Amino acid sequence: MSQYKALFLSESREYLRSIAEQVVALEQSPGERTAVDALFRGAHSLKGMAASMEYGDVVVVAHGMEDLMARVRDGALPFDAGVADLLLEGVDLIDVLLQDVEQERPSTLPTGDYAQRLATYTPSAQEAAPVEKGEPQEAGAPPSPAAELPPLPAAEAEKGKEPAGEAGGTVRVRTELLDHLINLTGELVTNKQRLLNIGRELASPPLNDAVSETAKLLRALHDEVMKVRLMPFEAISDRFQRSVRSVAKKSGKEIHFELTGREIGLDRGMLEQLVDPLNHILRNAVDHGIEESGERERAGKPARGTVRLAVTRDRDRIQIMVRDDGRGMEPRAMIEAAIAKGLLSPEEGELLSPEQALMLSCIPGFSTAKQVTDISGRGVGMDAVNTAIQKLGGTLSIDSEPGAGTTVTLRLPLTIAIIHALVVQVGQVKAAIPVNAVQRTVELSRGQIETMGKRQMFQLDGEPIPLLSLNRVMGLPLGRFPDGILPLFVTQARGRRVGVVVDHLLGQHELFVKQLGRPLDKMAGVAGGATLGDGEIVAILDLAGLL
Amino acid sequence: MTPQRLLLFSAARQLFALNLQEVCEVMEPQQCYPFAGAPPHYLGLINFHGNLTALVDLAGFLGLKSRPLPGKLLVIDTKLAHLALKVDAVGSILDAASITGAGSHDDPLTEALLETPQGSVRLLRLEALLGGLEQELRDSAPNTAKPGGT
Repeated sequence: MSQYKALFLSESREYLRSIAEQVVALEQSPGERTAVDALFRGAHSLKGMAASMEYGDVVVVAHGMEDLMARVRDGALPFDAGVADLLLEGVDLIDVLLQDVEQERPSTLPTGDYAQRLATYTPSAQEAAPVEKGEPQEAGAPPSPAAELPPLPAAEAEKGKEPAGEAGGTVRVRTELLDHLINLTGELVTNKQRLLNIGRELASPPLNDAVSETAKLLRALHDEVMKVRLMPFEAISDRFQRSVRSVAKKSGKEIHFELTGREIGLDRGMLEQLVDPLNHILRNAVDHGIEESGERERAGKPARGTVRLAVTRDRDRIQIMVRDDGRGMEPRAMIEAAIAKGLLSPEEGELLSPEQALMLSCIPGFSTAKQVTDISGRGVGMDAVNTAIQKLGGTLSIDSEPGAGTTVTLRLPLTIAIIHALVVQVGQVKAAIPVNAVQRTVELSRGQIETMGKRQMFQLDGEPIPLLSLNRVMGLPLGRFPDGILPLFVTQARGRRVGVVVDHLLGQHELFVKQLGRPLDKMAGVAGGATLGDGEIVAILDLAGLL
Repeated sequence: MTPQRLLLFSAARQLFALNLQEVCEVMEPQQCYPFAGAPPHYLGLINFHGNLTALVDLAGFLGLKSRPLPGKLLVIDTKLAHLALKVDAVGSILDAASITGAGSHDDPLTEALLETPQGSVRLLRLEALLGGLEQELRDSAPNTAKPGGT
């Protein structure tokens, strides 16, 4: 692909993303003059770029969008749901056309009568067209009054800005080059560990000092390289705005969507893998969390529900919260549903705290049952969401108040390339567990183990914790523990804490995570691999997939 | 269609070949680190120029009797997989022009049974081999229903 084509694709996609964001924002706040102007300019720039590259289909679509926005800008047309639908349809059309350009194949998507529909669009024509089930707009009704909306957060006021291009002091860099830099930095971190080991063996103070200084420099280098890979959250946020809009339209609900923290930077690889989990959570919030308008009004709430997506950063951790003001979840109903489904015994149900009960929605099998979903109002795909977040080295927690709403919080590391991990010995094998999956380590004497039914348990902070053997899970011979002390780590699995017994706890290491290619990437329970300081290779376990 | 150049090798006293373009290096055996949960013919992980690479005993995977020799490692092109095959020995590079005949073989992993000056050679279908290894791993996923215990 020529460098010009790559640049065209990259910039066009930025414009598309910006247009989609502004369309959704304008629907919520139709009076934003700056956003109207920016939408017009976006379509115009896209058209110009496509024309210079002679991509005629893209020009036709962008030209139609530009004309439509010109009519809105000039006051000939209100910015209503029909205009928004047409513009978003145009964004999708151009996206498909860009994929054809990228794959160097002829356009597979006929633009059909799209240009014609844009040119002849009037609000009354839209009303005559079939309306999606549950469409909240009534025939002839004016656009939703902006006065009903709460004031937009400061970040929303920036909607009118044009997408950032190549500006003074910045350059575009191929992502493969960044990945290569990360890889080299990771190798250096691994080698630093080797030097530390050698330094200990030689007991040479000057060598130790030099290695210690190198370690500091490496940490600084790693931090800088990781910053280069950071991309603002807004790189993916337009999809969520559209996703919420789409689900709200289909379910006939009135939703106000707020997004804050779009400027927060996240690792590029992490962003890509957050799209599906966040879409799941947001769709659940709209589809199951938020009530119908009538039900909300009867409960004394505003007819329009609010879904908030907030991204914040605290040093090297990212927090993403999805909060809705819907019906919330009832822990007791969750427990009863899990018992009915056979996922939990009544005795086990009694032991669960409200927080643990809410996490039942993340158990595979819980969410698939229709009746459970109806009772809980949640659960669609939450097991997949939880697994995806754990694979990223993050955690998911749920907080809910019946009648008041639900908050799903994701806590993620800033980077997925280098992690801190607990290395354990199981049989002849060493394995690593990301420390964010480890709540604590324990050395347990046999006398502390109780047998309850078929299960072996121990008490931790007044809570009975079941024991699992990692050797057994991994198909290895069971440990012997001649001194009567069982080393274990406590983690969260299937909604509750478990103690995972290993042969030895070997300590915490800083590991550079390497993805495993074919065929090992199909192995359940393994998230990647890493090289220890002495060159030994260990698998990094994905406990969510393993337990 | 037979590839232009083939790499001949032996495993379990049989002659095999792979498309030369699918192999990126032939190595002496090196330090290998075991990992749990995979079938027994997975010998472990090796570090191949920074890539963590699964080492598989080819004879074991094909259900043949593996020979306890040091052998050689055939590293598959890293663009296709992170996989090295332990074989008994590596022979010559065979030009397609020297193949005197070709027949079919009932093993789906074998693309053709080639007649060559060295004898009958099973030309392996790498994609099928990779697919088979992946399927095995899916099938050997941990049994989460196992009760706890120490």
